[in-house]
Amino acid sequence: MRVGLLPSENGGTYRFVMLLLATLGVLVAALPVVVVVIMSFSASDMPSFPPEALSFRWYEEVIAMLTSSDASSAQSVPSSVLTSIVVASAVMVISVAACVPLAYAMARSGRSMRAGMELLFTLPLVFPLVILGIAFLLIVEGLNLDLGIWRLIIPHVALVLPFVLRNCLSAMSGVSVEIEEAAISLGASPLRAIVDVVIPLMKPGILAGLIFALIISFNEFTVTFFMYTIDVSTLPIWMYSRTVSSLNPSVLALSVFIVAADVLLIVLIDKIIAGKANLF
Amino acid sequence: MLSHFTKKHSLMFSLPALLAILPFLGACLYILRFSFSAEEATISGFSLNSYTELANAYFMRSVWVTVKLAGISTFIVMMLAIPLAFVLVTIQSPVMRRALTVIVLLPMILNLLIQAYGWIILLGPSGVLNSFLRQAGIIQRPLFLLFNEKGVLLGLVQTALPLAVFPIVSAIRAISKEQLEAASSLGASHWRIFFDITLPLLKPGLLAAGSITFAYNASAFAIPLLLGGRRVQMLGVAIRDMISPLFNWSGAAAGGVVLIAITTGVLFLASWISSRQTSKMEAG
Repeated sequence: MRVGLLPSENGGTYRFVMLLLATLGVLVAALPVVVVVIMSFSASDMPSFPPEALSFRWYEEVIAMLTSSDASSAQSVPSSVLTSIVVASAVMVISVAACVPLAYAMARSGRSMRAGMELLFTLPLVFPLVILGIAFLLIVEGLNLDLGIWRLIIPHVALVLPFVLRNCLSAMSGVSVEIEEAAISLGASPLRAIVDVVIPLMKPGILAGLIFALIISFNEFTVTFFMYTIDVSTLPIWMYSRTVSSLNPSVLALSVFIVAADVLLIVLIDKIIAGKANLF
Repeated sequence: MLSHFTKKHSLMFSLPALLAILPFLGACLYILRFSFSAEEATISGFSLNSYTELANAYFMRSVWVTVKLAGISTFIVMMLAIPLAFVLVTIQSPVMRRALTVIVLLPMILNLLIQAYGWIILLGPSGVLNSFLRQAGIIQRPLFLLFNEKGVLLGLVQTALPLAVFPIVSAIRAISKEQLEAASSLGASHWRIFFDITLPLLKPGLLAAGSITFAYNASAFAIPLLLGGRRVQMLGVAIRDMISPLFNWSGAAAGGVVLIAITTGVLFLASWISSRQTSKMEAG
């Protein structure tokens, strides 16, 4: 128990004010998601709170949308879900394949190389997303590039690199040089030592990185908003186009699925890296 | 260090990641170059026209709205994030801590549209807040909280909260318990310990959290787009409008460079202040 942060007794106004502000913070963070979940069960067409009657009709509609075989229009739900999944999978594979060797090199090289790489790969985190979206759009349009689905994968990879690298680095910090040297002295080649000894030890960090890449790519809106085309469009863009004029309750039901998936994935990351590293 | 691991190996291992980040670096340079273009729709020649044309009342107001909303939201976020971080560090039960972590983290990773839907249902003319206040007899006509600066402000506070909470949590973990214990054993009141000891000890962490929050909110796009309607022209939205209806690409690039200058300026200022502080502490 830390003394002085939050006294459990005799706290007086201090304890009261701190807990009040913390509660307010939790409310601000959670309320929008909570009302979306509640309203998705409303039976009426017009979202009014509290819902007068409850029903699963919007969920039925979402399931009908997801299973509809009308794949003719590229703007349909199944095709945008498919694009989202393809983009997220490619982003996961590419970012992890890029970050694992980099994390190894950073852990085994000098300090200046490490510091330089850390700075370079933090840049996408502080760079304004709007500007990034506009910049990629200007390049693709200005140079007349026909990239297909890569017009989304390339910017998404840049966005997830800082998160994936951080997870791989913290996984590498637990792999001592001695283990690797032991493998080599027992006759393994240096490459074999990396593949058979280092990478299995990095597994929790790699898994957490994969999940982070999946979550960020699947939920990305801003950069995708500039880069999407009629043929290559993700689920968040479909949701935006559906609600730009008015809120449709079936979109809320769809949102609940996304919230559930995200919560599940964060809990999974938290379990995988349990106590070994910070989430951020 | 492994003897066989040379500079050449290190470069070879970094190559895939460098290739992956190359388009991002290219995009940064491209937008910088475009902002100096003499033509609006293509890169040709060098000129400062795009920048001088930004010096109009419309763009200046957009800069002011951006700095104002980012500043106010950063202040509110810090007021909420410090107590939240205290609670997160103090909680004993692992289940409760995990639940609270997920709740606080969610606004950052969840699809921004879903959160905007939540605010629209909460704050709209027939939304949760208005119908509650009307039933309670406090108001007769609905309050207009959406599609103006108040709604955008709430959205900014919510989405940036996790960005501030987690750096503060790591900063708290790093300060020594003994200093707080010494102060409380000397009989200092809780408020005095908070203002005279805890806050100064956390200052580098608070500066980092505050500057990241400011930079993030200054470059917000989805929240002002969805919750501000056309009325709250933060820089992100204003720059978008230069591209989409106006096709002024070099102007948009110049506006982007201005936004990057604002956000990186604040980040550098914060790290400069906190590094000066530490060197002063080490010297004294």
